[in-house]
Amino acid sequence: MGNGRSTLAWLLIAVVGLLTICPVAMLALGSFSTGLTAFGSFTLAKYAAAYGDPALYGVVADTVGFVVGSSLLATVLALFFAYLSTRTDIPLKRLFAIVSLVPMMIPHLLFAVSWALLLNPSNGMLNLVLKDLFALDHAPFNIYSLPGMILVEGLLDMPIAYLIMAPAMASFDVSLEESSHVFGAGNLQTLARITLPVLRPAILAAFTLGVVRSLASFAVPSVIGMPGQVPVLATYIYQMIATGFATDYGKAAAVGMSVLVTSIVLIVVYRRLTAASEKFVTVSGRGYRPAQIALGRARGPLLAVVAAISLVMIVLPVLVLLYTSLVPYAMVPSRHAFAMMSLRHWREVLQDPVSLASLENSLFLGVAGATLGVVLSLFVAWVIVRVKTRAAGLLEGLSYLSFSFPGIVIGVGFMWFFVQTPLYATLTALLIGYIATYLPYGIRPLASAFIQIHTHLEESSRVCGAGTLVTLRRVVAPLLVPGIVSAWILMASMFVRELSLSVVLSRPGTEVLAVQILHFADDGLWGQLSALGMLMIAISTTLVVIAAAVGSRFRALAAQG
Amino acid sequence: MDIAIEGLVKEYAGEGRGIRALDGVDLTIPAGTIFTLLGPSGCGKTTLLRCIVGLETPDAGEIRIGGEVVWSKRRGVAVPTEKRGLGMVFQTYAIWPHMSVFDNVGYPLQVRRRPRAEVRDAVARALARVRLEGFEARLATRLSGGQQQRVALARALVAEPRVILFDEPLSNLDAKLREETRKELKSFLGTLGITAVYVTHDRVEALALSDSIAVMQGGRIVEQGSPQKIYFEAGHRFVADFIGRANLVEATVRGHAGGRTQVECALGTLDCQRRDVAVGSTVTLCLRPEFIRPDLPFAGTDRNVVRGEVDSLTFVGEVFEAEIRVATERLLARVDPEARIAQGDRVSFTLAPEHCLLVAA
Repeated sequence: MGNGRSTLAWLLIAVVGLLTICPVAMLALGSFSTGLTAFGSFTLAKYAAAYGDPALYGVVADTVGFVVGSSLLATVLALFFAYLSTRTDIPLKRLFAIVSLVPMMIPHLLFAVSWALLLNPSNGMLNLVLKDLFALDHAPFNIYSLPGMILVEGLLDMPIAYLIMAPAMASFDVSLEESSHVFGAGNLQTLARITLPVLRPAILAAFTLGVVRSLASFAVPSVIGMPGQVPVLATYIYQMIATGFATDYGKAAAVGMSVLVTSIVLIVVYRRLTAASEKFVTVSGRGYRPAQIALGRARGPLLAVVAAISLVMIVLPVLVLLYTSLVPYAMVPSRHAFAMMSLRHWREVLQDPVSLASLENSLFLGVAGATLGVVLSLFVAWVIVRVKTRAAGLLEGLSYLSFSFPGIVIGVGFMWFFVQTPLYATLTALLIGYIATYLPYGIRPLASAFIQIHTHLEESSRVCGAGTLVTLRRVVAPLLVPGIVSAWILMASMFVRELSLSVVLSRPGTEVLAVQILHFADDGLWGQLSALGMLMIAISTTLVVIAAAVGSRFRALAAQG
Repeated sequence: MDIAIEGLVKEYAGEGRGIRALDGVDLTIPAGTIFTLLGPSGCGKTTLLRCIVGLETPDAGEIRIGGEVVWSKRRGVAVPTEKRGLGMVFQTYAIWPHMSVFDNVGYPLQVRRRPRAEVRDAVARALARVRLEGFEARLATRLSGGQQQRVALARALVAEPRVILFDEPLSNLDAKLREETRKELKSFLGTLGITAVYVTHDRVEALALSDSIAVMQGGRIVEQGSPQKIYFEAGHRFVADFIGRANLVEATVRGHAGGRTQVECALGTLDCQRRDVAVGSTVTLCLRPEFIRPDLPFAGTDRNVVRGEVDSLTFVGEVFEAEIRVATERLLARVDPEARIAQGDRVSFTLAPEHCLLVAA
């Protein structure tokens, strides 16, 4: 038994190692090679070209501004939300849980597009309304700018920061603040000297993760940054490999190496910080839970702020896309606009062979990729949780490594790899890339599911006389199903909307939804973009609903025995 | 500094209805005493403590500390916690994990913007008092439970507060350490001569530490007095039962004579502690196990002699616990390990009238 386990562990290490190390190694090797077709001929020329280019430093400056600005915005917003939801008597707490799940429903690409539709300087809807209202000659807002990018990316990264900070705040020992009051400190002093410092690891962890995600972000830089001539590293790399006439994968790899190393370092920092924040959890009191802070008269206004942000994050993007998909061209909502509504864009999209192909490909990648990904995650999670050997520790480290991979950079690494194989420009290449990059999203829910199934539960089933199969069917499987379902949903919805890896790996014939939407955006075909985008949201949502239904059905069956 | 509490009421919104955590508490805590609020969980003792310190806002009543009104519904006074100048040791110690021992202990002075040198000296003195000299630079999270507890005490002392409040400070320590710390705390508070309000559900802790005990039940103070008075002369069945192990026997008052009250019960007719209760009324006779000392039977007809049979005998370490059946009652007794008594033996014991406590039925 012990031998079998360690063989499995090493086998998984080989598979996961190949998936995660291969693109990194290929990226590194590629950065030292002369070109895609001359792989392996060593040269430093690409580094010299990449880092000798003065344009790079302007890009780095913009990137730092974008990444730090959006992470700050996300962290501050999340802090505000988390404090309200965990420590005060604000009503409608369910709203907070919903807002934190939004990124699963609305793809970042479409979120960015909807903001472009609202606030672009030439015909952004909100700009047009404000221009009419106040008789301005210029559009008051220009989303195609660094502040615009920061705003949209900050809103997008807010939920993940919230998910990190809310539990830390909920487990915060209130007596730490109470004792500060007893010893003579007022509210502000307590906030500055006790509350924020104790939460510092969680706040920094949220900020760090925000930095990693915005560094890897491609949707906002491409939809909002490129029209505004604000290149960041992600789009800078993209331009090197996508501008058609002068693609330079070697130079892209050389720049990408810095981004990758930065990301990996940040993820290491992030994991240290989360460990530190757990260490700060002190002896907890028994039984006594003081009442939550009464907001009193501030309750109404604060709820209004939360509701407004929720509206902006959930309802607005969908409404804007739906509206744009129905009107013939950009116009302010009016009686006239509603009279001109038609399904023209929807018909065009559904008759467009490339859009249809991308729809089909993304559906296939979502279903097949999530299924394969969950099977692999299941084994990996089991080994990580149940097999306590060096091999298992190594596997855990490996499987979390890809968490830090910026899609576009790792895409360049995969490109170097697939070009050497017959997989180049096939759906299989995308499938492998997706699974490799998003494996941690499958492993995480499954590992926590395995942790919940204490070994004693299995053992007591054995003691009660049930064999391995019966134990699996009656005890393990029912307890694991929720984990499997959520891992599958997470992976499938990520694959259906995958953009940053796909912009590198997708080729004519292997178009996917997000890339097709990006093409529409480049061509300014907002109506068709919106129609296809609505289909994408519909698919994501349907996947979530079906998977949830299957999960609860299975649980009901298991309960009946 | 004395604390006076009048008509204090605190209600919580519970499942569908209000729960009265404090139901009209009147209490005076004299200056310079160790005063314990004792009671089972949910009796309101912690709520009362939190109202005194200001972490909880009462619904009615008044609280005065050293003559100053710190909270009064009627006068519309509500001094915030940080302005009450108190010290407190929390159940969880509430040691700030991101600070050193020095910063934890010095905090009360730092937030009052005292000069650096003064803070340093005061912290050194406070740490010396709790025998933690040289721990200043240590990170608070790198301390054992007992050390954290002493840091919490040092912090409560450092600003020389008017009153120190203790919220079950020993409940997170293991049994042996708890006993040691309790003794230390006792001698320590004795030398300090400070007013201390101590909340606990542990009767041994309350008896050992306090100058005065208030027993609480259902948001009210049921009885108040010195540990001896509470233990030996409790007036309420609840208090007698809660403060120590007790055999409770239903009895009927037959008369008063010679400074004693005579009752009739399943054990026979007994002379008891004098209580002013009407002849014929029903009371509860409370017998502590340590005052039931069974011996092999002898032929005497003295008053207050009870005869029974040993039902069971359990060795619990320093003594045997015996269950003695007398008529329909089973009495718990503590038996010297050297007593030659075995299960099934017929035994007798004499009850001293002063240890036959009568409480309201």
